[in-house]
Amino acid sequence: MEKTVQATIQLDGETVNFATGETIYEIASRADKFIPTLCYDPRLQPFGACRLCVVELKGSKNPVASCTLKATPNMEVTTTSERIEKFRKTLLELVTSENPTIAVSPLRSYASQELSLLVERYAADTQRFAGEHSGHSRLDDKNPFLLRDYDLCISCYRCVRVCAEQEGDYAISVMNRGFHTQITTEFNGILKDSACTFCGQCVQTCPTGALGDKKALRFAE
Amino acid sequence: MLLPTDPGSTDSELIERWRGEPAPLLALLHAFHDRDGYLSETALRAIAQNLRMPLADLFGTVTFYHHFSREPQGLNAPRICTGPVCSLRGGREMLAALASQGATAMPCAGRCDEPVPVLQGQRVLVGTKLDQLVHKATILPPPNPGGIEECVFAEIRQPGRNTLAGYRRTGGYEGLTRAVTTMTPSAVIEFVRQSKLAGRGGAGFPTGQKWQAVADAVGQPKAIVCNADEGEPGCFKDRAILDYDPFAVIEGMTIAAYATGATRGFIYLRYEYPEIAASFQRAIDAAVAANLVGNNILGTAFHFALYIRRGAGAYICGEEGSLLNSLEGKHPFPRNRPPFPVTHGFENLPTAVNNVETLASVPQIMRRSPEWYQGLGRNGHAGTKLVSLSGDVQQPGNYEVPFGLPLRTLLYEWAGGPLPGRSLQAVTMAGLSGGFLAKDDLATVTIDEPSIRSKGSMLGAAGMIAFDDRRNMVEVAHNAMEFFAHESCGKCFPCRIGTQRLTERLAGASPQTLPIWLAEVDDISQTMKAVSACGLGMAAPLVIESLVRYFPEQVAQHVAKVSD
Ligand SMILES: Cc1cc2nc3c(=O)[nH]c(=O)nc-3n(C[C@H](O)[C@H](O)[C@H](O)COP(=O)(O)O)c2cc1C
Ligand code: SF4
Ligand code: FES
Repeated sequence: MEKTVQATIQLDGETVNFATGETIYEIASRADKFIPTLCYDPRLQPFGACRLCVVELKGSKNPVASCTLKATPNMEVTTTSERIEKFRKTLLELVTSENPTIAVSPLRSYASQELSLLVERYAADTQRFAGEHSGHSRLDDKNPFLLRDYDLCISCYRCVRVCAEQEGDYAISVMNRGFHTQITTEFNGILKDSACTFCGQCVQTCPTGALGDKKALRFAE
Repeated sequence: MLLPTDPGSTDSELIERWRGEPAPLLALLHAFHDRDGYLSETALRAIAQNLRMPLADLFGTVTFYHHFSREPQGLNAPRICTGPVCSLRGGREMLAALASQGATAMPCAGRCDEPVPVLQGQRVLVGTKLDQLVHKATILPPPNPGGIEECVFAEIRQPGRNTLAGYRRTGGYEGLTRAVTTMTPSAVIEFVRQSKLAGRGGAGFPTGQKWQAVADAVGQPKAIVCNADEGEPGCFKDRAILDYDPFAVIEGMTIAAYATGATRGFIYLRYEYPEIAASFQRAIDAAVAANLVGNNILGTAFHFALYIRRGAGAYICGEEGSLLNSLEGKHPFPRNRPPFPVTHGFENLPTAVNNVETLASVPQIMRRSPEWYQGLGRNGHAGTKLVSLSGDVQQPGNYEVPFGLPLRTLLYEWAGGPLPGRSLQAVTMAGLSGGFLAKDDLATVTIDEPSIRSKGSMLGAAGMIAFDDRRNMVEVAHNAMEFFAHESCGKCFPCRIGTQRLTERLAGASPQTLPIWLAEVDDISQTMKAVSACGLGMAAPLVIESLVRYFPEQVAQHVAKVSD
């Protein structure tokens, strides 16, 4: 049953309506607020990994991830603040420190420029926390469709989630933990030997170009 | 049963044994791991097929747990503790000496009062020399010198307390009998609420309030989960309870079940306590045989079934959301909160997750009174706390202290202070998660959350590791940060990358000037504390923050050395 009284929250000082089950991020997007994200894809279940989407919530000491937080009536949310902008910049500097580079061809995939655009917007220093890299590219996977350049992977799990949630293939998953996290398939093999159907959904959601469309790249050459 | 798997069992016998049980995945993985000595590809294929799990998910999840081996003979390869105390006692040297036999490092295995533990298959040996390793019983908690009244340890030194007969002889099951035969569930909750008992696993949430929320929540069957993962370095209190007072935990869980309406219970036991897996199962069997667990408990209409599940080497599985995912056979990432386990716990049903110590306090409270329990604390704090004290003190061990006891009383009067000719430099709080207390704060702080928090630290599960004036505190902090990096689950960015970058800075990477080093460390720490998705990432920076605060000279020396 729809509620008769429209529930609202305060968003950056303005009263905004919301529907039951909506997250703060969804409400803010409708209100044309800019909130950076990396692990978010509107087609997928919210995951809450990248923490870029944190916002200030009145009554909470720490900022909260807006992508996973469902609205309740009369919440008071601020989508930006000095400390939040600083956390976001530091997060971007941390993320880019994992990878050798962030510049990739836009032909790799639809979302491939998400990370580099955010880095530009926040003027993040990609060398600041330089250290050990994570993720290992699978150049041994010679399939003609999907490039698996995990040196550029930021472990946002969008590929794993799209494969499970949208395709129901469950071909890819994540192995190890912590800094040694690596996107993988059963027994760390190549895609041909897995449940992969080469649908290409994972490529299109990848925000760094770690996954690429080999056909498009070949065509451009 | 958790007794060793029959080496002659076939795949289908193992699968049939576990498939119909609740929370089957971990049990089934252990059954194959024990039988074969590792998890083979064939085993994983059989398990995935029979539990209807995607193979990629099962493979990925198995690699998350450090004690599941994927190499033949892996089960029996020695694992040697390189935790904060064992590193001071030769653990790293022992590891190097055994490396050729396939030995690997394991984080703190909960024997800090008697280093160094070496885990091999289903056995833990201890000793500081490789040729003198012995199998030894857990050390009984030393009595406190002041004769101060205890709750959890009040009866633990009684001979035979870990048998059902001995337990009953010393007041055991008086609490459950009183609850089940004379009180309503809501009266039991009210009793616990009035005692002001709060979570002893770290977060300190009021137990009565948690149980009330489970009782009020809609959905059946409800569950009680005993968190016996005890992964925090420097903590070994739950091991003493599980070894010497298992029935107190079982009785506490049964009372919790009666109060909340739960009908199933799980004990999630850390892998590093293999002997307890067997002894605790025997305790459950004895309780079942005596009609104290199972159907129609004490002749009433109350039913409660109890199961043990073993973890497989992952500190994060002590975090309740991660623990529940692990029990359910999912990838053990923490869960986003809200919703909380009290409404969406095991299999998304109402669940009370409680620490071993919390649950073991309950039977005593039920047989005595809420006022009695409250009165054990000092300065307005209710009750007692077990402290696992280890490192550079004369008498390490588990001590039950009244809340509000001055820290220096514990360190100097109860535990005898530092070794002769030495002085204490720093003591960790909450195991490692609270970072260090040092200098004047060691003299002024009292053992309770408000006092310790006022120093920028926390009491948490109350592991305390003492370091004397010989120790290089940067090295100690480096070892601690390595632990957090090793145990970070890898889901949220600030913790996954932050713990790695802080470890590098304590090891010597990034040759920087001091002001730049400090600014980098501060930015990473503030970000991790504010926006990490769970307590691991939020707490990890306390070690480096307190290092900088108390030991600026040692930090300056370290940075100068690196940038040379
Ligand atoms: C990283 C991490 C590790 C934890 N490990 C444990 C543990 O080993 N044992 C435990 O009882 N609680 C642990 N906790 C706390 C649990 O999440 C939870 O709060 C506790 O089990 C609740 O029981 P209590 O209310 O009786 O303390 C941990 C929390 C975090 C964030
Ligand atoms: S803080 Fe984040 S990465 Fe660390 S253990 Fe928790 S969820 Fe995982
Ligand atoms: S988009 Fe919110 S945490 Fe990633």
